[in-house]
Amino acid sequence: MGIEFRGRHIALIPALLLYGNFVIAQSSANVPDLSGSWERMDDVGGGSFGGILEKIIPKASLKPEFIEANRKEAARQNAGDVVAFSSKWCQTFRYPFFMQHSAAWHIVQTDEEVIQVPEVHTFARHIYLDGRKHPEPARLVPSVNGHSIGRWQDGTLVVDTVGFMPGGATPGGGRIGAGTHLSEKFMLLDDGKKLRVTFTWDDSTIYLKPHTYDFVYYRSTPESYALEDYCHADESTQSGSVVQPKQQ
Amino acid sequence: MSRFSILTKCAVSLFAIAGCAEVLSAQQGKAVMPNLTGYWRLQDDSRNVPSANLTPQAASVKQAELAKHDVQEIRWCHWYGVPYLMETSPLQLAQSRNGYEIDIIFNTRNPSRHIYLDRPHPNAETLDATSDGNSVGKWDGETLVVDTIAFSEEGLTAIPGGGRRTKESHLVERFRLLRNGAQLSVVSTWTDPTVFSEPHTYEFRYFRIPDKDFEIPNIDCDPADEARTKFLSNPPGTQIH
Repeated sequence: MGIEFRGRHIALIPALLLYGNFVIAQSSANVPDLSGSWERMDDVGGGSFGGILEKIIPKASLKPEFIEANRKEAARQNAGDVVAFSSKWCQTFRYPFFMQHSAAWHIVQTDEEVIQVPEVHTFARHIYLDGRKHPEPARLVPSVNGHSIGRWQDGTLVVDTVGFMPGGATPGGGRIGAGTHLSEKFMLLDDGKKLRVTFTWDDSTIYLKPHTYDFVYYRSTPESYALEDYCHADESTQSGSVVQPKQQ
Repeated sequence: MSRFSILTKCAVSLFAIAGCAEVLSAQQGKAVMPNLTGYWRLQDDSRNVPSANLTPQAASVKQAELAKHDVQEIRWCHWYGVPYLMETSPLQLAQSRNGYEIDIIFNTRNPSRHIYLDRPHPNAETLDATSDGNSVGKWDGETLVVDTIAFSEEGLTAIPGGGRRTKESHLVERFRLLRNGAQLSVVSTWTDPTVFSEPHTYEFRYFRIPDKDFEIPNIDCDPADEARTKFLSNPPGTQIH
């Protein structure tokens, strides 16, 4: 009896393993496939990539000190100093900058991750789908993209990000601090031809209320390929800035 | 009917379902390819790199000048490019679920490699040269064969074993899993009439990082970092105050 019991039991193991794989394959087969190349287009008549932002992004509701910081930044730009230090020096772009850049970005989707691969000078962004949690705060290393985990909910990829390196900015005048929290929703539209990403930034030290906006990206043609958007700080066209600052 | 009898019947049914799924997949012409997805690292015994046979022109290039060029590329955080990036460790291979491409993602601030599967290179007349080149791949049995052209001369161009990447360079890599997927062999063969007198082949073997929660680090590069610039520019051992 004991031997028979073990024999039946052992026979069940590969069956259950197969069942597990089969179920996993079925569930992963049902999620949308975001893989591909994505880029912004002027679908609101903005006239430029900056112009599009003006039309579609609401102003962030900020605490007074950040309103004042934005005012000083605008004054500096109005005085002709239009290229930021980080741009002149080709410093690493911080999220979400590549999401509003004119360069395309790419998604490689596996069962465990959605990886956003930009063409500009920054790092690939990893959205872990394998059920892991954010690291404990003491072990969380701040980074330009933060730490992102995601899950599928009714065909939408819901992403939660913490651990940003402070000092970044969002469209609409928002700022990013060490405690800033980002929630995103990635949803395919028009039979997969478009991808809408809704961003919600929250940080009680910066915002009076969560800052929400969305972008729509267009899928590139299948024969398209990724480029490298290089940045050479040792070239005068880069370090000298596009528009020279006005003489004081 | 006992509990185990029911379970046994369930198991048989599930085998049948799984079998049907495989037959269906085969009927749809979808061959099951090896999955290269994962994090990979090089270790001390990962490299089998013979010396390259260089053309007289390539052999006459002064190494000191090349070294100086490389320091400048690093100092200004230019893209490093292939093959240097394939020597960085760890790196990640990510195979898209739709079979469209395989990306190689690095821990330095450099463009990822995109290997587009089962398609030709774009029109050479309109193809932009890049530090990673343009890569297309196809499966030859269980080996992924990757063909790369359209290299620029940006970055760290030294090729393991000797020679440099140029705009004329052509790289063929063969990716193959070994030891039940615990290792990844990449056999690289470079041809370039301006550099090599015969094709130059070497092999790297990467080891899979088994940690399920592994996350690739971000190694930044900041051309505006003064201390870094002085370190790279001054004689070794110079004290920075």
